[in-house]
Amino acid sequence: MRLKGRHWIAAWLVGFLAVTWVVYARQAAAIRDARELADLRTRSAGLEARRADLERRIRAAQGRAILVPRAQRQLGLHLPADSEIVLLPVPGSGSH
Amino acid sequence: MAKPAVRLRVVEVAVFLGLLLLLGRAAQVQLLQGRRWAEEARARRTERIVLPARRGALLDRHGAPLALTQETYHVGVAPNELRDPAPDGELIARRLGISGRAWQQALRQRYAYFGGPYSALEVEPLRSVRGVHLEPMPSRFYPAPALARATIGRVADDGGGGGGGGGAGASGLEKALDSLLAGRPGAAVVLKDRAGRAYESPARVIAQPVAGRDVVLTLDRELQEIAQRALDDALHRMDAEGGDVVMLDPATGEVLAIASRQRPSAFTDAFEPGSLAKIFAAASLLSHKRVSLTERVSGEGGSYRLRDRTVTDEDPQPSLTLGDAIRVSSNIAMVKFAARLTPAEQYATLRDFGFGAPTGIEFPAEAVGRLRPPSEWTRPSAASLAMGYELSVTPIQMAVAYGALAHEGVLLQPTLVREVRSPSGEVLYRHRPEPIRRAVPAGVAAVLRDLLRGVVERGTGTEAALTGFPVAAKTGTARRVVNGRYAAGQYTASFAALFPADEPQLVLVVKLENPRKGSYFAAQTAAPVTRSMLEQALAARTVALDRARLSTVAPRAATAPPEDDGGVVPYVVPWPYRPDSAGAARRRIVPDVAGLDMRDAVRALHRRGFRVVFKGWGNAVHTWPPAGDSATAGAAVTLFAAGPMPPPAPGPTRSAATPRQPVQ
Repeated sequence: MRLKGRHWIAAWLVGFLAVTWVVYARQAAAIRDARELADLRTRSAGLEARRADLERRIRAAQGRAILVPRAQRQLGLHLPADSEIVLLPVPGSGSH
Repeated sequence: MAKPAVRLRVVEVAVFLGLLLLLGRAAQVQLLQGRRWAEEARARRTERIVLPARRGALLDRHGAPLALTQETYHVGVAPNELRDPAPDGELIARRLGISGRAWQQALRQRYAYFGGPYSALEVEPLRSVRGVHLEPMPSRFYPAPALARATIGRVADDGGGGGGGGGAGASGLEKALDSLLAGRPGAAVVLKDRAGRAYESPARVIAQPVAGRDVVLTLDRELQEIAQRALDDALHRMDAEGGDVVMLDPATGEVLAIASRQRPSAFTDAFEPGSLAKIFAAASLLSHKRVSLTERVSGEGGSYRLRDRTVTDEDPQPSLTLGDAIRVSSNIAMVKFAARLTPAEQYATLRDFGFGAPTGIEFPAEAVGRLRPPSEWTRPSAASLAMGYELSVTPIQMAVAYGALAHEGVLLQPTLVREVRSPSGEVLYRHRPEPIRRAVPAGVAAVLRDLLRGVVERGTGTEAALTGFPVAAKTGTARRVVNGRYAAGQYTASFAALFPADEPQLVLVVKLENPRKGSYFAAQTAAPVTRSMLEQALAARTVALDRARLSTVAPRAATAPPEDDGGVVPYVVPWPYRPDSAGAARRRIVPDVAGLDMRDAVRALHRRGFRVVFKGWGNAVHTWPPAGDSATAGAAVTLFAAGPMPPPAPGPTRSAATPRQPVQ
């Protein structure tokens, strides 16, 4: 069957619409992905910041400036003199 | 009036010319200037942006972060875009920590800008507020801001240098290691609308950013904290103007801790070491065989007159050997002994120990100190150098020189860098000990260590003595130079120690500037500080000490009878979590602990060097191996008790002295 002029026009129109739709779909998907990526980056930065903040607080709490006075006050511990330190030798090995 | 046909012709020609002009212009724009206009259009539509590279992290030797790069934000607020200015404003002001008045002022502007930088946590609730615009920027973050800050340094505020850490390194290690840490920024192109705002579309990446390398430093976080706290405490207690503490591993040249007040003066400020340098005069004498250890010189009653000066001793002795001279820090004896050396010999030994030359450590603007060549010496120079004057050194130089005494006479290159890692974690560089030269023969170094041991056992350094571990050290109290002159009544107290005296694992140098409260002598100021730091280091689990080796040099602690402890609960250092070597295996008698309560029984077994495994709870009944049998030191002894094991206590209440599970 030979296509008439109007059919050609319709075919071109459909083709044009299809290409336009593909372009639109690709753009929309890209924007959606970009938005998602930005959100993930934001969340990642937020979590990183939270991790760093917690790490800082843990390290501060583990620091001797905090721990030693607290151990002395609450547990009655003290920094040992060297005479109070016992080092257990490794068994079953030759001397160094 | 022209005929219509003529008028029509004119219009035709005009239109034709107009079209021709248009066509010509179009050709000019499209064909001749096309490239330029296309560029301009692209420039208006797109923007080339820099993708910052993450600046590498600085870590301590155990991997604890000391400096990191994080994303932070500047915040812009467009008041007319806010949906609900009152509650939004309150939220913004609260999150950004700005006063109500400042916020009111900001509301009067078209666009208020708050530089911050604010952390991601701070701005998190503002992300959904319309009218708030966040501008991300990388910032350098120091998890423990006070820790080794002078050594670590800082980065510049601007974004220069290509680093993603908020700028290039401006001081300290941030500057010295900038080429490793900075990374290489990338580039991308983004699309913009007519108003210049970037479209919400993925950027076209032209070059990916390359993150900087992570650098693992040699610093030990816990030793660093011990050093800083001890220094701060000493400065406060003695009302001293300043001071430094350096801890060095003599086997590798790695700097384990370096504490200074405010400035990195351990690298940059040279001082006259005084008696601290006498050991190097002794090194020269022994190396050149100019003295025997039994030879004696007269103490001159404590005052010895040279041609142009009088040398005095704080603790006059009738006669002294070289060992005595070091032990009591005799100026007179050292001057007399050093007179046997030629200037070239004396100079060469000091030079061999690294004085008068930079150590080459990775720190910018390291001071060289001063050691004049013999050609520039005056008549009293030889005597002055024997006593540690006419010589200026930095604390790091002194630590390196004492490190050579500890390392069989070989001077090692000091370092602050242990490892360099790629962003993926691959190790690109790992420090290996780098010998510079042999300063003295190994035999001479051993003799010198013995002399230093005498200082702590019977000399000026007794305040640094530990009960269970031998320490070798030297005190130094020198007049202080202020503005090029000796300041009246001002002294620098310094102390250099090798711990333990046999096979040293740690070199400590403590320097206190002008202690004004109490004694100014190093024996009463710097020596006790050293002792305190050593005790804390011994009790700290993660400190880079090889306890397996230490256990072999602590016979008194391991064999002391349990009843000699005066009721003090010992801090039991557990099995070395990462032993580098092994100690000697000696057999010991298992003590009789039947009838003792659990704590005393454990203490008694620990005192004999055994590990303990519990069976039951309450008073001890018997052990396996039984009392009287022998077992290898460090072996596990099972302790049987009368009652059953109690249920585990809630919460993290375990302590080293409260056994709830087998002590390893």
